[in-house]
Amino acid sequence: MSEHLDLSQVNVDELPVVPNPLLKLEGATIQFGGLIAVNQVSFEIMPGDLFGLIGPNGAGKTTCFNLITGVYKPTGGSIKFEGNEIAGFNPSKIARAGICRTFQNIRLFGALSALENVMVGGYLRHKTSLLSGLALWPSAIRETEELKEQAMQLLEVVNLTDVAHARARDLPYGKQRRLEIARAMATNPRLILLDEPAAGMNPQEKEELKEVVLRIRDEFGKTVLLIEHDMKFVMGLCEKIVVLDHGEEIAAGPPSEIRSNPKVIEAYLGEPV
Amino acid sequence: MNLGKFFAVRGFSVAVAILGCLALDYAAQTYLQDYIVRLVFLAGIYITLAVSLNLINGITGQFSIGHAAFYMVGAYTGGTLTKFFYDASPLGAVAWLIAMILAGAALAGVAGLLVGLPSLRLRGDYLAIVTLGFGEIIRIIVINQPELGGSSGLGFAPKVQGLWLVWLLAVICVAVCRNLLKTSHGLAFLAVREDEVAAQAMGINLTKTKVTAFVIGAAFAGAAGALLAMNEGYINPDLFKMDVSFLILTMVVLGGAGSITGSVLAALTLFAIPELPRLLKIDVSLAYLIGLTAGAIGFVSLLRHHQQRYHGPKAKGRMITVATVVGVPLAGLGLGWLLHTFTYLSDQTYELNNLRYVILAVTLIVVMLLRPEGVMGHHEFSWKWVQKVLTGRKPVAEESIS
Repeated sequence: MSEHLDLSQVNVDELPVVPNPLLKLEGATIQFGGLIAVNQVSFEIMPGDLFGLIGPNGAGKTTCFNLITGVYKPTGGSIKFEGNEIAGFNPSKIARAGICRTFQNIRLFGALSALENVMVGGYLRHKTSLLSGLALWPSAIRETEELKEQAMQLLEVVNLTDVAHARARDLPYGKQRRLEIARAMATNPRLILLDEPAAGMNPQEKEELKEVVLRIRDEFGKTVLLIEHDMKFVMGLCEKIVVLDHGEEIAAGPPSEIRSNPKVIEAYLGEPV
Repeated sequence: MNLGKFFAVRGFSVAVAILGCLALDYAAQTYLQDYIVRLVFLAGIYITLAVSLNLINGITGQFSIGHAAFYMVGAYTGGTLTKFFYDASPLGAVAWLIAMILAGAALAGVAGLLVGLPSLRLRGDYLAIVTLGFGEIIRIIVINQPELGGSSGLGFAPKVQGLWLVWLLAVICVAVCRNLLKTSHGLAFLAVREDEVAAQAMGINLTKTKVTAFVIGAAFAGAAGALLAMNEGYINPDLFKMDVSFLILTMVVLGGAGSITGSVLAALTLFAIPELPRLLKIDVSLAYLIGLTAGAIGFVSLLRHHQQRYHGPKAKGRMITVATVVGVPLAGLGLGWLLHTFTYLSDQTYELNNLRYVILAVTLIVVMLLRPEGVMGHHEFSWKWVQKVLTGRKPVAEESIS
């Protein structure tokens, strides 16, 4: 009791700066019946990271995303976002907290235009009440116009302004992928999760995508967590990587370390005979 | 936006809507027979029902087929309150009617809340079954309540005919749905229809959105029910059977799920098709029926063939469409005339009135074959579209079928 710290004596500037992790998984586990899809996975993502989550098919990468975004409730462990426990929150609440995602199998709002898709992303920051919308009150009109403007700007980032009024369903595959990113960006998240953003893209589209992802991080200051199969793409883009295999974390570190990690090579190429 | 200007424009449009409805009421009462006035009244009711179901089914994508239940809740609320409380109330007839509309809407809204809640866990067919069941439960409860008149119905006084209120309600219902789609609030509803998982990942509250759609849709149906009850002075459970729900659903699907314009057009058309033959009192001979049937079959098969196989220039395609749309039914009529004039088929005649449900069925089949997405698809009426038509770039296929 006598050693009670007198805060007025502490010079804040002299304290070592320990940044708080943006997202922290501690022993996150989910079990479906007898199958443990994700087992005791722990990693930390710092603000501003470009973080990669890789692993062979069925390693539990997307399940891991589903845990973070609230599609599944973890059966064990904790998931902290900005220091707050978010495990088991429903997806819309997590989106509101500042985590947004794209989907492996594209899930756009098909019948809506590209612009409207992105506007939906901005919807969670809405301030006017539904009643003002139903009455077409000036505040609701103004807000809609603002959302439209913001959405247009985001479409410009992903280079889709020319198809803003095309139906999302009618867009070619690569553009749909980029539109999903723009839509997720519209929620103004602090952490953006990209689930296999480069899947099915040709080399040129991949290069464009790489630029978009870098721009999201550097220009907009978002933290990015991405799942990807294309090793070249991940190694060339991410600064930190976690490798999953059979739901377990087998390696973590910068790309140079991951590349030469025997466990990773084994997981990807099979056991050496 | 300039607030002063906004209120001026809004005040003006509200005034136009009210005055327009009053004028319609006056004109109908003055110049039309009672029977036709009743049809105009019912047309307004059906527009409200179809547009409000469209909010639940078409815009939010919750497959509900128990809309008659909300209609019924509104009607019985109005009827029961009038029967037991009208005499004691200080309100005049019209004020009472407005109060009943609000009461019917409120109670139906509560019913909408009750049905909306399970919709969080149920999708597609399963939700459809629940809503269907709800509709039947409400009806059976009423049948078994002697206080509500049971199966023989509930009579009450006074009857208040609010034709202008019916149409004002229809206008408000259309306006509310259109406003919703004009602002970003509507996007949340559309997003839920398109993909629930993605909508949730975008931070849209599924519970709130679905339940809101049910409550608003049900409240409008309830208001329509209250108006119907007050107009008739007598209601019974048979007025709200399952087939009413299906008729409303057909209107929504036929018009194009999600399209407000489509719902309005389909409501008017489907309502008019069984009623018009009754007014026209025409006898048709078997010869004409055969000719017209042949025309309809030829019309559908040729147009479908054209839709699927034609890949040539657009202008020529339109010419062919117009030629088919105009030519084939005329050819059918011609064939009918030939048969009528030169064969004994003219001896056998039918009253058109008796064929009204056949005509309805044929219309449904033809539209669903030629435009399965509904007459309007996801589109809405817009002045831009009118301009397009007037300047010559005419989407013939849509125009001709509607």
